[in-house]
Amino acid sequence: MARRWLYGYWRMVAWDLAGLRLNLPVLSCVLILQGAGFVYGIGLLFSHMPQGAAIFVSTGSPVMNLITAGLIFEPQLVADQRLRGGYEFLQSLPAPRSATTLAWYTVTLATALPAVALTLLAGLARYHLHLVLTPMVIPAVLLTCLTGVLMGLAIAHGITAPMAANLLSVTLIFVMTGFSPVAFPASQLPGWLASVNLWLPFGPMATIMRSALVQGFTGGVPRAYAVVAAWAIASALVTAWAQRRRR
Amino acid sequence: MDNVKGRDGGGFRAEAVTKVYANGIRANDGISLHVAPGEVYGLLGPNGAGKTTLVKQVIGLLKPTSGRITLGGHDLIADPAAARQLCSYLPQAQVPIDSFLAREAIVLCGRVRGGARKVVERRADELISALDLGEWRDKRGISLSGGVKRLVGFAMVTVHPGRLVILDEPTNDVDPLRRRMLWQQVRDLGDRGISVLLVTHNVLEAEKAVDRLAVIDDGRLIAEGTPSAMKSADRGHLRLQLMIAPGRDAPGAPPFVRRCTLAGRTLMAVIDEPDAPAGIRWAQQAIGTGVAEEYALSATSLEDAYIELTGHGPGNGETG
Repeated sequence: MARRWLYGYWRMVAWDLAGLRLNLPVLSCVLILQGAGFVYGIGLLFSHMPQGAAIFVSTGSPVMNLITAGLIFEPQLVADQRLRGGYEFLQSLPAPRSATTLAWYTVTLATALPAVALTLLAGLARYHLHLVLTPMVIPAVLLTCLTGVLMGLAIAHGITAPMAANLLSVTLIFVMTGFSPVAFPASQLPGWLASVNLWLPFGPMATIMRSALVQGFTGGVPRAYAVVAAWAIASALVTAWAQRRRR
Repeated sequence: MDNVKGRDGGGFRAEAVTKVYANGIRANDGISLHVAPGEVYGLLGPNGAGKTTLVKQVIGLLKPTSGRITLGGHDLIADPAAARQLCSYLPQAQVPIDSFLAREAIVLCGRVRGGARKVVERRADELISALDLGEWRDKRGISLSGGVKRLVGFAMVTVHPGRLVILDEPTNDVDPLRRRMLWQQVRDLGDRGISVLLVTHNVLEAEKAVDRLAVIDDGRLIAEGTPSAMKSADRGHLRLQLMIAPGRDAPGAPPFVRRCTLAGRTLMAVIDEPDAPAGIRWAQQAIGTGVAEEYALSATSLEDAYIELTGHGPGNGETG
């Protein structure tokens, strides 16, 4: 059973890499542009960027990379497959669904990691920051990317109307960028929106990443892990339900 | 799992399958059929008859409202994961292979279906050769024509097939020469003991490829049997085809014509054998007055039996 699962996982990784070889390098470049562009662009607003703001922007931008990779790519891909008719063929392949999901996570992570690293380096270079890479960066990156991927899968498979799925994923990107404390502190938001964000995944994702990169950052990290993990579990359940659902 | 192997010898069986959508549309209505191992079974029917709905239930993409679907010892409704393992499915739409090289797509699909690398690679090369795809074996899917992409899709689902291969309009866009090659491969699947469920509009091709067939109309199975048995009701009849001249209306059918169908510019009339001389005179008169360009008289085919059963022409379906 475990052997069959592993076999299905590796075959689907190979399938995804071959099937997306024209798209993955482009997506990786877009993510690098997104992260590095945001880091440099925000700096243009200030003659001298405050150190605290620079830390928020530099540690928030890689989180945006991870969320965008998971949240945008799969819904757009599945929407395209639904419109062009390939979706049913892919759903009829015999690899276990969980292996297919983990294969997609692996490919997305591999696509996003160069952007995460380069975005971080861009922040360090632009603002002369002294961040510390702790081992906790590994679970922070893995969990943040996993949650983004699972949310993307839940949208892609849970919403059968391609346009609606695309709109929702793009809307969530706007929410992440402008209305969630990812690249700025929650204290900058109105009280009610800061309260809402305690339960949304994006702010807590930035919290766990920041805690792994900034010495002395301790604000609500265990709770942030719990919230992000809860979103991952909920998204996984929605994805599993949507893929098993037969009209 | 419910073991039905003893009863149907490991073949595919649908029993009283009914599918009613949430909007009340009854897409399948009590369809029962059996496909033996190694049998090529055709599903014919006009657009919207319920053929694709039926095969989507087999592969686990849709759930029947009632009825049973089994393959050997496996209940495919209760276990859709087993359905995906046991059935290979070529949908009506093109397979998504834009980024793949043609041979790579075939091999990877066989590997995803659980085939050993060397076996799959050897079989992929055999299929590429048998379907005359050598010219495109290392070309990307995005650069392939619709017909070639269709053939690559066929090779993908048959390179390491399940016990049941479901082909939904496999010859769409394929040129006539390679259609023959594809049908030969379908026959070879049957010879290897694999059941084939073939969904098609192409009645004339189906007649040559299938062992038995069923006609589905309005969600119901209205006829089933071998192509010869289906045609038996038309024994003693002839088909008179008139090619109508561009811009001219089809002539009215004389009284001796049993039934008449207009498909595009082709008027197909079924007549009794003794009425052949009268039919030829009618056709020659139509040509003489410029209404028609040519005519042909031949034995009736499965297509005529199909039209009689469904009241639809196989192409645009106008019935005279």
